[in-house]
Amino acid sequence: MTPHSGSRRTAGSPHLELAVLLIGAVGIAFEIALVRVFSIAQWHHFAYMIISLAMLGFAVSGTALGVLGARIRGREELLLRGGALALPAALVACYEISQAIPFETLQLASRAQQWVWLILLYLVLSLPFFLISWCVATSLLLRPDRVGRVYFANMVGSGLGAVGLVGALFFLPVHTMPYALAGVALAAGALLAGRRPGWWTATGVLAVVLAASCLARGPRPIRVSEYKGLSYALQLPDARVVAGVETAISRLTAVRSSLIRETPGQVSGYPVSELGPFPEQTGLYFDAGGVSPVHRFDGSLEPFAYLDYVTSALPYHLVREPRVAVIGAGGGTEVLSALQHGAASVTALELDPGVREIVGRRLDEFAGDLYGRPDVELIIAEGRGFLASRAEPRFDVIQIALLDAYNASAAGVHALSESYLYTVEALALYTSRLSPNGVLAITRWLRTPPRDAIKLFATAVEALRRVDVPDPGRHLALVRSWNAATLIVSRRPFDTDRVEAVRSFAAARGFDVGWIPGLEPHEVNRFTILDAPAYHEAAVALLSAESEDFLRRHPFHVRPATDDRPYFFRFFRWRSLPGLIRAAGRDWVNFVEWGYVALAATVAQALAAAGLLVLLPLALFARRGPSGSGRAPVAACFGSLGLAFMFMEIAFIQKLMLFLHHPAYAVAVVLTTFLFFSGIGSLHADRRRDRPVRRLAIVAALLAIVSAIYVVGLPVLFEVGSGWSDPARVATAVTVLAPLAFLMGIPFPTCLQVVSNRARDLVVWAWGVNGAASVVGATMATLIAIHAGFRTVVILSIALYIVIPLSMQRLTRPES
Amino acid sequence: MRFPYLLVAVAAVAALPALQEADDTREAREAMVREQITARLGGREPVTDAAVLRAMRTVPRHRFVRPADLGHAYADRPLPIGYGQTISQPYIVAAMTEMLDLEPGDRVLEIGTGSGYQAAVLAEIVDSVYTIEVIEPLGRTARDRLVALGYTGVRTRIDDGYFGWPGHDGFDAIVVTAAASHIPPPLVEQLEPGARLVVPVGAPFQVQALMLVEKRRDGSVVQRRMGAVRFVPLTGGP
Repeated sequence: MTPHSGSRRTAGSPHLELAVLLIGAVGIAFEIALVRVFSIAQWHHFAYMIISLAMLGFAVSGTALGVLGARIRGREELLLRGGALALPAALVACYEISQAIPFETLQLASRAQQWVWLILLYLVLSLPFFLISWCVATSLLLRPDRVGRVYFANMVGSGLGAVGLVGALFFLPVHTMPYALAGVALAAGALLAGRRPGWWTATGVLAVVLAASCLARGPRPIRVSEYKGLSYALQLPDARVVAGVETAISRLTAVRSSLIRETPGQVSGYPVSELGPFPEQTGLYFDAGGVSPVHRFDGSLEPFAYLDYVTSALPYHLVREPRVAVIGAGGGTEVLSALQHGAASVTALELDPGVREIVGRRLDEFAGDLYGRPDVELIIAEGRGFLASRAEPRFDVIQIALLDAYNASAAGVHALSESYLYTVEALALYTSRLSPNGVLAITRWLRTPPRDAIKLFATAVEALRRVDVPDPGRHLALVRSWNAATLIVSRRPFDTDRVEAVRSFAAARGFDVGWIPGLEPHEVNRFTILDAPAYHEAAVALLSAESEDFLRRHPFHVRPATDDRPYFFRFFRWRSLPGLIRAAGRDWVNFVEWGYVALAATVAQALAAAGLLVLLPLALFARRGPSGSGRAPVAACFGSLGLAFMFMEIAFIQKLMLFLHHPAYAVAVVLTTFLFFSGIGSLHADRRRDRPVRRLAIVAALLAIVSAIYVVGLPVLFEVGSGWSDPARVATAVTVLAPLAFLMGIPFPTCLQVVSNRARDLVVWAWGVNGAASVVGATMATLIAIHAGFRTVVILSIALYIVIPLSMQRLTRPES
Repeated sequence: MRFPYLLVAVAAVAALPALQEADDTREAREAMVREQITARLGGREPVTDAAVLRAMRTVPRHRFVRPADLGHAYADRPLPIGYGQTISQPYIVAAMTEMLDLEPGDRVLEIGTGSGYQAAVLAEIVDSVYTIEVIEPLGRTARDRLVALGYTGVRTRIDDGYFGWPGHDGFDAIVVTAAASHIPPPLVEQLEPGARLVVPVGAPFQVQALMLVEKRRDGSVVQRRMGAVRFVPLTGGP
């Protein structure tokens, strides 16, 4: 213990830990709220990029405290209270300023000024995170004897913040959250004020000012990019918002305009003058972006004849009066299509509860009580999880049609988004849920150069091979229009009747057949003429013995996605970039998958900013300080700790997301469990202070064992437990995570104790390095998972945990 | 007699900046055609149609952009014109016009007037140009601009272009200068036999496939992907 620490044993408010808990909750809740805000204002991947950098505010506070050094000694309590008092104002002001900045992601390439706005956005948004971290760090400095308890409070608060925010978003719109969180931060400030009248007065005045300002003007709405679908729709002459619902998953806005008409793919063969115009539509905009149409429906299916002129109608020409499961029912187009084609029953699976509220209640007159029909059952559930959880009933048609038409876009923005819907394991599951005569139909948008449908075909071939289908080609059909392709996976091999049904369906509508058993070369590339019959050639190659060679040499990443690397939407290959630039010249930028680029940019900027804003100032400062000799091992230890924790956390969030079937709830449950049990682990570490290096080594060994067991055993457990009830699966997830999180919570306070004993100056250095590594780790984990899979992320995490005791060992030796 | 001379001199001095500007922009257009449209850049096919190149050399593109973008008017890129819309990059305008394979007597329909630039280019080649814009302020500004620049024969309309030009029998060429999520079937129906339709198909604000639709003499329809572009969306349907 440093000579100063004894005098501070009794320092601080008696409610210090409670205040830190509230501040921790505000931190994570504000982060999640901002991701939602910027997903609505811009796009999810750019939201992720912006927030990741803003999070460096966490690390910069360590730098600031480190640079201030001895000058703040004895003033920690004052700085803590000051930070806590500034936080509520910063939350509100920074949110409001961020929504006043006229930033446009899509103008970054053409307008230099947008870079200024982006940097300003980073700076503004990082301030609240800086203050939150400032408060936690000054608490740690204030009570070095209670590092574990403070850390515990921070972790538990963060966990509660995550679950609390997800819950709150079902009742309050996301743009009110900064104001609500300012209220929580005010409470933390009040707790820290103790019995000091001056601080109480300041807190009270601030509360009155914020409340008056909020009541007078109302919460500032989110500034939506002019390039988003909703912004465009609202410019249409007769457009008006007719309903809106917000949940933790999305903001749904229903817009009515005579000009909104969307089709699920190309309808080039539709004889308008003969069969009449499309029915009136209301556009359902998800997060102000993509649109899913809701049709005017009066019970008559006649006006929906146009739905027979898209590729996704193909399954209904193969199976009569089918029992249909529609994954991603949205506004109900595919449900109407199934009914129009004579479906006996439709099970409509929809992830977003807002859809039920909007389509089923707010627009029920317009939508004709579609989801209330006796032959339609709407189930709010994640599609794959629902099918995994029930062996019965079997379906004659499982329809997955153009899901991302209403979520972001089809042009590469999903590259960093995991999707467990399109993996080999998923397709194998869907096929197992088909009746003996049943077919699975998956429709994807097409892009140039061809890739999506090729990857989908490759995934289906691999899925069929895994379940020992001897000749996968006999179970597959691929039909494409101008902009969409539908893949059919048939439970039984295609017979002559079905092959002919595919041929006549395609020919009558001007669609090209990419694959059916017995397809002749002269039959391909007839209506939408490509330079080469790429889809047919790919299908032939993938079904041949040269499939591996085809996958390896293809300019895009068309290797099937798996549950370990669930990135169906990632097609980008670095090695193809030179060829792409040569082929497309200056237009190569049009072909870049922006989701992937945004992720790579996020990692790069996080690394650069961490070096520039955190490590460099700390290194310069520490060179002048008294404890320079400890910097290297502390950096190694806390850098590894930050990376390792985030790697492990993100890998297991992913694993459990699949098991819990629902991304929003999964993140809330998993994050809360992780943080809570890590907090318990840190509390445990606080009580046992002997032989820290040995304890760290044991923790690393136990983590290696537990994660090895999990990597092997969890897929088995998840398969067995996929049919369990929601509470049972949540309980299982918590049970599985608890020991892992407990162990992961031990190293940080243990190491911090060692550092604190060695030299107090190094505590802020450790805090800054850890913060920077955590931010870099969160983004890097996804990049590694895209390229090498989550298993590799876990292995790397273990390796990093092993570095920790080794570096601490150097620190516990007496200084020479 | 001194007064008239003085007047002429004053007028000449006053006109100097305009003449200077005309020279500058003519040079800029020449450079645009030389460096962007007829050059083999990256994967682009050079545009060779003499009528199209003449039109691109003639139409004052800088009069169709916002004042803030004057400096980039002839740059090889699209520029924002407000309401989430853009004026397409010069090469795309030229390439799409060339794809239409126009004859002077053709009737051409443009969907998505935007700034009015494409309509002006078409009007330099054919006698009969119809153009429709759905966003009223854009449509009004474009109409005034076209009239001011002397393109009085271009017929403008503020309406949903999805249905084509109401009451018109058929067109020899249709060009859609806004992204469509699908080929509007009414436009295919408004094509005369042997006519062509050029349309970018794809998600709004993302990379779209530039499609060339040809209605054969026998009424059958064939499509080709002609490249990838980025256009702002066209909204509408039957």
